Amino acid sequence: MKTDPSRKVRLRSAVVSLLFVALFGTIAVRAAQLQVVKGSWLSSRAERQYQRVLTVTGKRGTIVDTNGDPLAVSVQATSIAADPRLIKDPYGAAKRMAPRLNISRKVLQKKLASKRHFVWLKREVTPDVVEAIRGLDIAGLHFMAETSRVYPAKTQAGQLLGFASIDGRGLEGVEFFYEKQLQASSHKIQVAKDALGRGFDGPPRETTALNGKDVQLTIDRNIQFITEKALEEAVTTHEARNGLAVVMAPDSGAVLALAHYPYFNPNAFGDFQRDDWRNRAVTDPFEPGSTMKIFSAAAAIDSGLVRADSIFYCENGAYRIGRNTVHDTKEHGWLSLQQIVKYSSNIGSVKVAETIGAKTLHRYLTAFGFGSRTGIDCPGETPGRLSGYKSWSAIDNGAISFGQGVSVSALQLTAAAAAIANGGRLMQPYLVKAIIDASGKVVQQRSPKTVRRVVSPQTARTIQKILHTVTTSGGTGEAAALEGYTVCGKTGTAQKIGPDGRYAPGKYVSSFLGFAPAEAPALAILVVVDEPRKSHYGGQVAGPAFRTIAQETLHYLNVMPAHGMERLRVAIDEEVKG
Amino acid sequence: MNAVADAPRATRISGLTYDTKLLFCVLFLVGVGIVMVFSSSSALALKHYDTSYYFLKRQTLFSLLGICALVICSHLPYRLYRLLAYPILLGAIGALLMVQFSSLGVTAGGARRWLDLGFLRFQPSELARMALVIYLAYSLSKKQANIRRLSVGFLPHVVVLGIFTALLLAQPDFGSVVIFTTITWILMFVGGVPLRWLLGFLLPLLPLGYYYMMSAPYRVRRLLSFLDPWQYPADAGYQTIHSLMAFGSGGVVGTGIGKGVQKLFYLPESHTDFIFSVIGEELGLVGVWIIIALYTVLFWRGVRIARGCDDLFGALLAMGITTAIGLQVVINMGVTLGLLPTKGLTLPFLSYGGTSLLLNMGAIGILMNIGMARHRGGGDRVHRG
Repeated sequence: MKTDPSRKVRLRSAVVSLLFVALFGTIAVRAAQLQVVKGSWLSSRAERQYQRVLTVTGKRGTIVDTNGDPLAVSVQATSIAADPRLIKDPYGAAKRMAPRLNISRKVLQKKLASKRHFVWLKREVTPDVVEAIRGLDIAGLHFMAETSRVYPAKTQAGQLLGFASIDGRGLEGVEFFYEKQLQASSHKIQVAKDALGRGFDGPPRETTALNGKDVQLTIDRNIQFITEKALEEAVTTHEARNGLAVVMAPDSGAVLALAHYPYFNPNAFGDFQRDDWRNRAVTDPFEPGSTMKIFSAAAAIDSGLVRADSIFYCENGAYRIGRNTVHDTKEHGWLSLQQIVKYSSNIGSVKVAETIGAKTLHRYLTAFGFGSRTGIDCPGETPGRLSGYKSWSAIDNGAISFGQGVSVSALQLTAAAAAIANGGRLMQPYLVKAIIDASGKVVQQRSPKTVRRVVSPQTARTIQKILHTVTTSGGTGEAAALEGYTVCGKTGTAQKIGPDGRYAPGKYVSSFLGFAPAEAPALAILVVVDEPRKSHYGGQVAGPAFRTIAQETLHYLNVMPAHGMERLRVAIDEEVKG
Repeated sequence: MNAVADAPRATRISGLTYDTKLLFCVLFLVGVGIVMVFSSSSALALKHYDTSYYFLKRQTLFSLLGICALVICSHLPYRLYRLLAYPILLGAIGALLMVQFSSLGVTAGGARRWLDLGFLRFQPSELARMALVIYLAYSLSKKQANIRRLSVGFLPHVVVLGIFTALLLAQPDFGSVVIFTTITWILMFVGGVPLRWLLGFLLPLLPLGYYYMMSAPYRVRRLLSFLDPWQYPADAGYQTIHSLMAFGSGGVVGTGIGKGVQKLFYLPESHTDFIFSVIGEELGLVGVWIIIALYTVLFWRGVRIARGCDDLFGALLAMGITTAIGLQVVINMGVTLGLLPTKGLTLPFLSYGGTSLLLNMGAIGILMNIGMARHRGGGDRVHRG
């Protein structure tokens, strides 16, 4: 039987359309499954893909000197990185970038062909290089804003400042000690990126709030400059191994300058030896030699056992204690305490120490801060070495009184001298006077801290007078005398202990420790020159440097000369005569 | 069913009646297409053409041309195509040959599918599909008397399909082969070819198809990645994964137009093959269901026109046009939803692409003309046999 074809067509069309309706229905159900049932799972997968976590970091704080001049600053720099998975043609890209980045094509190609998500190509490149690389229009490159640490004063105060790593972490010096304050904070933010790695959600955020805090030092760049130049001259003139100098404000303990020679440039810290980085004035102990007589004399007077004019027999240059013999450089007979200091008689010093006894000497030296850390805000401070008096042998008591068998740091010594200068109070030395936040607000202010009273003001006054005589005619520190200012000071010439534990012949540490002006000390200064070869007497080697530093700094600080005009007149008269 | 009783509520415009439901669906889809093409292509356009509007402008232009094509075709009596069936068929085969053997052929993405006509990259397979539909409608209606005979009702059509298949596999365009084959089978089924031929021939085709799938490594990978796209996130499963992520991110109401992320170079071909994923992400399940509903209505109107047509050629032509569009919709959506392995097929009316838009809208015009002819009471009944 023949069916009506048109009926059959209609029937079969209906079958086909039912099939399609079923297909459309399947699709609608599948869409619902993906978008509702599996929706959150799928969208989290998607988000993981285009939400990238970006760490936003502020700028590391600036280190400024006491006047606000920058000593360490962070500047914006751009680093170039790549996502190798997005680099289509590692060979071509490497070939085009190599000459501009000044990296060999092979090295670059290897980086670009790696399987990682992220490789640094070059850190901290100059703006023209950034432009050149951007101009190549290579997909998959990242230009990362970074900060680079710059020390604009180059070598100035290099060892003191220390340095920070390329990742902005302080590794040495103030940079290390104040890491917590200087450190920029960072926070992670989610940024959406397209498949080409480009962000698409708005302008970069303000990061000022993330900046580290500024650290203001007590160091004055001008005084630092004066000090470094004078030190450099002393070290080079006397062909010494190295040298250091400390300038401190006696009333507060604030360190005004801390110089080391040879210099160290923190901008290129990698080019220097580890030894050159060290802030030796703080980290390295040394035997002070005769400068120690200041403090044994102070102990003698303050204890009431000895007066400035008490006289001691100085054995004409050689004094035997047990198996040891103490020598003086010049033979002396009877000397007063004042003269013992002025002429730096070791035997006299031993006699004084024998008079007051080991216990008293030890008590005073400990009170002056020897044998313990000053607590200065620098890493790696040494406490020096002052052993307990009960373990002292007969020679030790005397030797320690003139600076042998005891070791100190330059900073300890300066702080102790400052205590004499300010009337007997030991001040804690410090380097940082204020911490300032990114908005310019002072968040932390350092005020001077008295550690303890060491000697009475009268004793301090007496010692000052004695020390003034050192720089007058016939004293060992004549070369340190200033024009227009009175100076108190003491020379030091210590033999160095060789590797065998005995005093090495011909190796000395020459130093000068003092303060000026005598009437109202504004500066306590220590100059230490290590292993001078031309001459080794502290007065000759370190005295002139002390003089230059004191003279120029007092001028710079506008300290009125007390008797400048007379001295000047005398000098002119002499010239006329000559 | 009575032709008068279920006459569409058609509107009479300048002496002709338009199927307004069909017209509404098509225009709505084209409109959504323009918006979504812009949304999904602006970033790509900016990267390659320095203007976000490159694809938007072109899609808008082709939409306007497409409306013209629709209007013109709806005014041309569809019986014209019965006369033109062979010339169009030969033209389509010629165009496919030109893709392979002339300098106008353009290779892109590893396939040679386009003819460069200067202002337009013409995709002959789109024309060939239309040609196949017209030919089948013509041939099946003409041979109605002996339709049950293998040599008359079945073999000639399979031979023509074979020619197209050979030419399409040369490109290669496996997706189109699937569509062409399915259309041929559906039209032969509707046209009255006995089921035993249709099913009987399908069985030996299965191992053939299997062999073909396994012969090219990229097709094997595609198949494997289809079965578990998350195992192949970097290569073959990449598109599927990102398409699924787009749907998942969209949720019920979507991220909002223009706010999707997958189109930002994560999802390749987001303005062509994967525009439905962008719709899923930006318009959500609501948008997806509305689009599916629009296609369903469009399909329903097409089938209705076919079933209401007294002329067998017209009925088969309408059915062919409708199923060709419906099939492409189903496959494209199935691919984007991870139900089918990826094929290079666009979504009619929505995806970016000039040839496809012009031909599909032209086809809707033809469909409308068939509907109008019936409504005007024209068309000869097919009671010749």
